[in-house]
Amino acid sequence: MEERFEELAALSAFGMLEGDEKRTLDGVIIRDRALKELCAELEDTAALLAGAVSPITPPANLKGRIRSKIRSRRSGGATYSSGGSSFWTFTGWAAAAAFAASSAWLWMEREKLQTNLQASTAEISVEVEKAQKAASEQREGLEKQIAALNGEIASLQKRDALAQMRIATLQTTVEGYKQGVAVVVWDSEKHQGVLKLEKMPPVQVGKDYQLWVVDPKQPVPVDAGIVRVDSTGFAKVDFKPVTEVTDASKFALSVEKEGGVPKGEGPIVLIGP
Amino acid sequence: MSPNEITEEELLQRVARGDSRAFDELYDRLSPRLYGLLRQMLHDERDAQDVLQDGFVQLWDHAASYDPSRAKAFTWAVMIFRNKAIDRMRALGRRTRLVEAASLEHATLGDGDSLPGADEDVQARERAEIVRSALQQLPAEQRKLVELAFLKGLTHHTISETLDMPLGTVKTNIRRGLMRLRELLKGGRDGGAI
Repeated sequence: MEERFEELAALSAFGMLEGDEKRTLDGVIIRDRALKELCAELEDTAALLAGAVSPITPPANLKGRIRSKIRSRRSGGATYSSGGSSFWTFTGWAAAAAFAASSAWLWMEREKLQTNLQASTAEISVEVEKAQKAASEQREGLEKQIAALNGEIASLQKRDALAQMRIATLQTTVEGYKQGVAVVVWDSEKHQGVLKLEKMPPVQVGKDYQLWVVDPKQPVPVDAGIVRVDSTGFAKVDFKPVTEVTDASKFALSVEKEGGVPKGEGPIVLIGP
Repeated sequence: MSPNEITEEELLQRVARGDSRAFDELYDRLSPRLYGLLRQMLHDERDAQDVLQDGFVQLWDHAASYDPSRAKAFTWAVMIFRNKAIDRMRALGRRTRLVEAASLEHATLGDGDSLPGADEDVQARERAEIVRSALQQLPAEQRKLVELAFLKGLTHHTISETLDMPLGTVKTNIRRGLMRLRELLKGGRDGGAI
């Protein structure tokens, strides 16, 4: 150990250190255990020097004065009483009184805290309930909005779908077909359609009705398939032209050879619109 | 267990719990040695009594802070009473007079007022003899400076100025003296005599 620190420890043992020297020692002691132990030992040694002094009995009344002074003080330290039993009695009652007072105070504090807690809990519950109600209303409102929007979307989709649809009724000038009814629903988006025939006269053996789509951009009508009616003259068929039609301006039904032909040969019996 | 069988350390711990009988017993055991010390330090009977009174009141108040694993009860008490005596000296402005060489000449342990007397029991006498013997083994200059430091509570700077001695010499002698005493008193302390 450095002599410098031993020196500070020795001076400290006599309470001689001041200012920087004291601060230096206090700082080093924190991290130097050996120096800390040396300080304690030197303090002990310094105190032992008192043993070299011969004892002198103090005046007899001094003990009484000290007792009185301790008794007269109300704060700090333990309560002093000259009598053994009365001391314990007083101390016991004082402790009991202090305990009772502190218990009462603690009980009141507990009650106060509990009341505050209940009030706070009630306030929080009300606030939570309000927030839940508001959230619920908001959710309901949003659900209504969503439903309305969905309805609007459906409506728009329907309107759009209808907008894409064309309904054409085919007419005839040929006797024998004037009772027949032919309606075409054409989906210009999907380039396909539905043909519904009623009360159509049966075709001759070896013949079939064949549907054509007239597109001004195509040089000839486009084949949309053969149509076979039942004994009542009814038929409902989905059709799709063999080549893509961009502008279905007219639909025509002709009588062709059985199985159909790629290019119209027979008479057109119905056409429209 | 009779009162004599109870150690001073145990008494002090009982005082910490508010035991007034233990306080009375501890006062009876410690006060002669402490009063002797205060008389030696203050050279005034009235001042010594005042400091003894204040010191025992403080001992009653702060007994709970005593740690028997760190110091003997008497050592702990000496620190309290010595500090109070130094405070008293400073408060009375006696410091100026004390630094006079003539006054310092009387600042010695184990002579003058502190000669063994009728108040000193056998145990105390043995205890005092051990410390005095240890002090006598120190070189004269070291012993003088240790006694001054212990009894007068002067700083090394003040001692240096008063005795016209280099500061380094004062510090070195105090260090060497106290370290030597530590070695010399270790046997007696470990053996329980002090």
